[in-house]
Amino acid sequence: MSVVFTIAKRDIKSYFASPKGGAILFFFLILMGSFFQNFVVSYIEYEQRASTMGGQAPTLEQLLRAFFYNLNFILVLIVPAVTMASFSEEKRNSSLRLLQTAPVKAIEIVLGKFIATAGVMGIVLLASSVYPLFLVKYGNPDGGVIIASLLGMFLLMCSQLAFGLWISSMTNNQFMAFLFTMFGLFLLLVLNWLAPSLSGGGVAEKIIKYIASTDHLDVFLKGMISVSNLAYFLCFTALFLFLTNVSLDSERWR
Amino acid sequence: MIEVKGLSKRYGQLKALDDVSFTVEKGQIVGFLGANGAGKTTTMDILCGCSGADSGSAVIAGYDITEQPIEAKKRLGYLPDVPPLHGEMTVEDFVTYAAKLHKVPTNALNTRVNDTLQRLSLFEVRNRLVGNLSKGFRQRVAMAQAIVHDPEVLVLDEPTEGLDPGQIVQIRELIRSLGGKHTILLSSHILSEVQNTCDRIVIINKGHIVTQGTYEELTRDLSQGKVFRLRVAHSAKDALSRLKGMPGIVHAKIEDDHGEDTIEFGVEKSASENAPEDVARAVMDGGFGFRELRQKTKSLEEVFFQVTK
Ligand SMILES: Nc1ncnc2c1ncn2[C@@H]1O[C@H](COP(=O)(O)OP(=O)(O)OP(=O)(O)O)[C@@H](O)[C@H]1O
Ligand SMILES: [Mg+2]
Repeated sequence: MSVVFTIAKRDIKSYFASPKGGAILFFFLILMGSFFQNFVVSYIEYEQRASTMGGQAPTLEQLLRAFFYNLNFILVLIVPAVTMASFSEEKRNSSLRLLQTAPVKAIEIVLGKFIATAGVMGIVLLASSVYPLFLVKYGNPDGGVIIASLLGMFLLMCSQLAFGLWISSMTNNQFMAFLFTMFGLFLLLVLNWLAPSLSGGGVAEKIIKYIASTDHLDVFLKGMISVSNLAYFLCFTALFLFLTNVSLDSERWR
Repeated sequence: MIEVKGLSKRYGQLKALDDVSFTVEKGQIVGFLGANGAGKTTTMDILCGCSGADSGSAVIAGYDITEQPIEAKKRLGYLPDVPPLHGEMTVEDFVTYAAKLHKVPTNALNTRVNDTLQRLSLFEVRNRLVGNLSKGFRQRVAMAQAIVHDPEVLVLDEPTEGLDPGQIVQIRELIRSLGGKHTILLSSHILSEVQNTCDRIVIINKGHIVTQGTYEELTRDLSQGKVFRLRVAHSAKDALSRLKGMPGIVHAKIEDDHGEDTIEFGVEKSASENAPEDVARAVMDGGFGFRELRQKTKSLEEVFFQVTK
């Protein structure tokens, strides 16, 4: 088991030893910062309009929801950038041989890589939580909502990372890994809206909507933590980690 | 220690390996010789569990590489064709990482890593980034990765590739010093290298094992009869026609590379006892001016070209 952390530690270090880790963090924070600023400005605008012309004033929770929805979209760009190299780059420069010839099981390699990417994205998420924390300082949003939302985002991230690792394990071309992961994640994001036209209603629509992550994430963003939604993300993650394991192991047969 | 049995592998239409079998006894150093594209790397990749074979099996230290890969790999060090390196790590960090992957116990980690760095003359560059090193140094770092956990079995794919002459000698000596305690399979297309370092030689060509044995066995078996070189003072052509008429002499011809006065000829096994004497007498009787007669020894080069023709 310790070998999993050996692999993970090396990977995290190498993310930040190369400009890539820094660049990802930089662009992410710039993007999130500018979106956050926009949301706050329009929030204040709505609030003023409500006080002068009457009507419903927006709540801080709505601001938070907008923020996290936005985060979801940005993840579709960031996650592929983090996972694309995991296996593709190692295959390309054949450093994967190092892992393949060591007395290490394929699943240990997969877990090591997963923990590394989850660590990197965890740092990113932690860094982005400064924005919600601003709200805590200057307003009084529901702390439970923030915690549940962060948990939901982290789970979503893990499922996306597992998907990205699977794609990365199937090609030695980083760019292809990036494109296909982004495409897949985008599809999962919009699946909810496509469901009616894809299935024509009925049970099929329900199933497709269940597969899409949107509804499950929604529950977290409303501040609720439920076992079934937790299970959805965990199963999703486990499934794709398993597929990655199969794909990696199959190298030995091909 | 290493047992390869009936390996076959296809890449689409191309038959990369066809029924490749050989064994390496404990403590032996065996050279795996073949031209470019002969199938050396393919064989070694399968042997080390990096890719699969269509049929056949590979066993390392008693453990089948596909059935008990973890046990087999514990006893294995592999230097692949392309050095498996992480450019953004320092040499020391990288070798330590490789040692940890191979489960070197924590208390032995430092001594093992330092010892390996010393052995490969990498100690001076231990704090430099692997990616910034020159090709020869990178090759040595890759070598360090293969031996840091002191494996019973070493598989080295062209270990001296990209090294300067001084380093080639040093690595050769390292390999020789590892022999005996370790079992080593090393591939090469430099014939003199395997000739000097290896106990046995396996020659592969187009996916087939064409011959194997010690250097002496290979050079002896392949020189059917003996080949001599004769130098005369003048009228070599007449001498040649004279030789052609003699019993037991075959393939007599003027050796152009060495000037017009040199004749090369083979002697059949049955006649090899008296043939040199007969030839010398014939030359002197004919008045061609006897200068030199010597037996040509076959070099490994010639064996190689003969069996891979
Ligand atoms: N992934 C692959 N796809 C298709 N063909 C391959 C692949 N890998 C190797 N081959 C083919 O298999 C044959 C054997 O290749 P291999 O790399 O084992 O040769 P080699 O003996 O190591 O040669 P070299 O001395 O150049 O390293 C070659 O004809 C090569 O083109
Ligand atoms: Mg090769």
